[in-house]
Amino acid sequence: MTAQDKKEESIESSDELAKCQKEKDEHLDGWKRAKADLINYKKDEAKRFETMIKFSQEAMIRDLIAVLDSFDLAVLALEKEGKAEKGIYLIKSQLEDNLKKYGLEKVLVSVNQPFDPNLQEAIAAVESDKPSSTVIEEVERGYLLHGKLIRPARVKVSK
Amino acid sequence: MKILGIDLGTTNSAMAIVEGGEPKVLENHEGNRTTPSVAAISKANEKLVGILAKRQTVVNPKNTIFSVKRLIGRKFSDSEVARDKQWLSFDLKESSTGGVEIKMADRWYKPEEISAMILAKLKADAEAKLGEKIEEAVITVPAYFDDSQRQATKNAGEIAGLKVRRIINEPTAAALAYGLNRKKEEKIVVYDFGGGTFDVSVLEIGDDVVEVKATGGDTHLGGDDFDKRIIEYLVAEYKKSEGVDVSKDPLALQRLKEAAEKAKHELSTAFETEINLPYITSDASGPKHFLLKMSRSKLEELVADYIDKSIEIVKKILQDAKLKTSDINEVILVGGQTRMPKMQEAVKKLFDKEPHRGINPDEVVAVGAAVQAGIFQGDVKDILLLDVTPISLGIETLGGVFTPLIEKNTTIPASKSQVFSTAAENQTTVEIHILQGERPMAGDNKTLGRFILDGVPPAPRGIPQIEVVFDIDANGILNVSAKDKTSNKTQSIRIEASTQLSKEEIEKLKNEALVHAEEDKKKKELAEVKNLAEQAVYLAEKSLRDAGDKISAEIKEAINQKIEALKSVKDGNDIEAIKSKTSELSLEIQKIGQSMHGNGGGEKQEKTE
Repeated sequence: MTAQDKKEESIESSDELAKCQKEKDEHLDGWKRAKADLINYKKDEAKRFETMIKFSQEAMIRDLIAVLDSFDLAVLALEKEGKAEKGIYLIKSQLEDNLKKYGLEKVLVSVNQPFDPNLQEAIAAVESDKPSSTVIEEVERGYLLHGKLIRPARVKVSK
Repeated sequence: MKILGIDLGTTNSAMAIVEGGEPKVLENHEGNRTTPSVAAISKANEKLVGILAKRQTVVNPKNTIFSVKRLIGRKFSDSEVARDKQWLSFDLKESSTGGVEIKMADRWYKPEEISAMILAKLKADAEAKLGEKIEEAVITVPAYFDDSQRQATKNAGEIAGLKVRRIINEPTAAALAYGLNRKKEEKIVVYDFGGGTFDVSVLEIGDDVVEVKATGGDTHLGGDDFDKRIIEYLVAEYKKSEGVDVSKDPLALQRLKEAAEKAKHELSTAFETEINLPYITSDASGPKHFLLKMSRSKLEELVADYIDKSIEIVKKILQDAKLKTSDINEVILVGGQTRMPKMQEAVKKLFDKEPHRGINPDEVVAVGAAVQAGIFQGDVKDILLLDVTPISLGIETLGGVFTPLIEKNTTIPASKSQVFSTAAENQTTVEIHILQGERPMAGDNKTLGRFILDGVPPAPRGIPQIEVVFDIDANGILNVSAKDKTSNKTQSIRIEASTQLSKEEIEKLKNEALVHAEEDKKKKELAEVKNLAEQAVYLAEKSLRDAGDKISAEIKEAINQKIEALKSVKDGNDIEAIKSKTSELSLEIQKIGQSMHGNGGGEKQEKTE
């Protein structure tokens, strides 16, 4: 083997080595990424699971809000006729208390305060001597579930 | 750096990204997967976008801008603009360049500036959600958008601080979402029935290029029209029965609107729904309630002309493109309204083809935009492709039952282990019979190999612990080993061709499993019942031996009779007979315990149980 041959061979093998080295790095990187992906996925999944539990009841609670609305209207109508019995208030607060345990809160609306689209939805604009865009009347309650607005309060606002 | 895919819609917008190779729809700040395409400047001089802007529409109609997509990139002199000007609640004027300008609060805006407000919100919400900066986006537009409309949409993106990598057509995005761009030489119809607009496009796929062959639709036909029809119907019905016009009361109308939308959604899965709104209004006689049952067929009747109209439009577009319905290879449904069974049926009937509708029709365009973004991002050209095992792999267990260890569609490499035991007394060898297939009985599946693990120390049945490990590497080579945990004796086998099935073979195996599902279920149940019977006989005989002379000959005799009765049926095929004889025997065995505890012992036994 001549010196020339040897030199060529060593160049070849060092090329080979460099290629292997590069591949090795790529593979190790890929492996690390795959492992990290899995660990991150597990973490994400755990988080997702948490929020899922929190909001899995959302659909049902949304349906129950319709019942609460009807209750509010019923109480209002009965009060007008002077027929509201204590029992009906008790049933209503029983339902509200139970839903509260699952994270449902009422949106507090103050009449005569400026309209806040973050928590309220305007369903009518009415004539009033109040400054424009002032809440005149709350016609339907709004609700938050674990701090997330799931139904804005429906309000009438001054023109 | 992630690129955001955005479906900038007429009524609603959505966004998605590709993460880890998978497109994912992002929720906005309010936690919703779609964002109303509405922008406003409130009376308090605040810029509002999305649901917040929508909530104050009633009090601020002049400064609440919606449907801006109908105006973007158009000339003020367009007949479309003239038509829309009639019903839009805000003011429009011609700009110095002949375009449209929109008045919001005290300033005139170009439509792209309004669209930019919506895009900027999406960008900010995506950044908050992902915790990283978003600087680039892919935005979709209707296939019929001309250069000026596309350029204006692109400008909107730039104003919002997004480098628009590409403007793609909405139907193309839908096809991308379903991965149809990889098909060769196909013609696809995209039927997009949105909230306010109806679009149909014919796409042609060839050499990785998606080309729009024809497009059309109705810019004023959508799901909102369906809602309106339902509300009108409800109001009319109520007027007829109660004599009250509830449409005059804003709260009543609001409740009715919600109920109509809910009913529409429910009637996509149910055949009848009840609209129940107590205390909807009141008159001199007191409070009044709203109660009405609505059937799916009633809804279909109410909107039949809309569906017919959409089908007529599809037919006309095909005609213009000189295509027959039979030329179409795939049909995609886009838009929330396409969840309606009647609509799906109409499309299916026209093309005689099951339309694609696996992806949420409200999100499919955003998903497709994200897929395109993913291609730019480089996520999709993932160098590491992982295979799946097409068919389940497992072993034969007691009674000839096939017990899968690696289920079909498991991503490989993968490893699974399970502990098994012996079926007979003092069994010293265990045969591991490795199979592949989807049928519950081993005999119906394909044998891949078998080996024997010997040297298991003699023990009663069910006591030895044999751990079987299936390990399948990235090349589909399966290593199966079995180890007796007491003696640590191990035996293994290497199977090369565990995944080398042709497509046809896989299909055949899966089909067979479907075809034989019923009889297989029976066979497996029979095997399980027989196993239980064996177990009961074994337990009974063991109990008799253990009890010895401690129990009376009568009890022994009774048990023996039951054992014989069970033995006489257990090798037959009468599932019910085996079951009843097994439970009779089990009851009889309990007498051993009762008798050994003597009188009054029964009580004690109950307590300890």
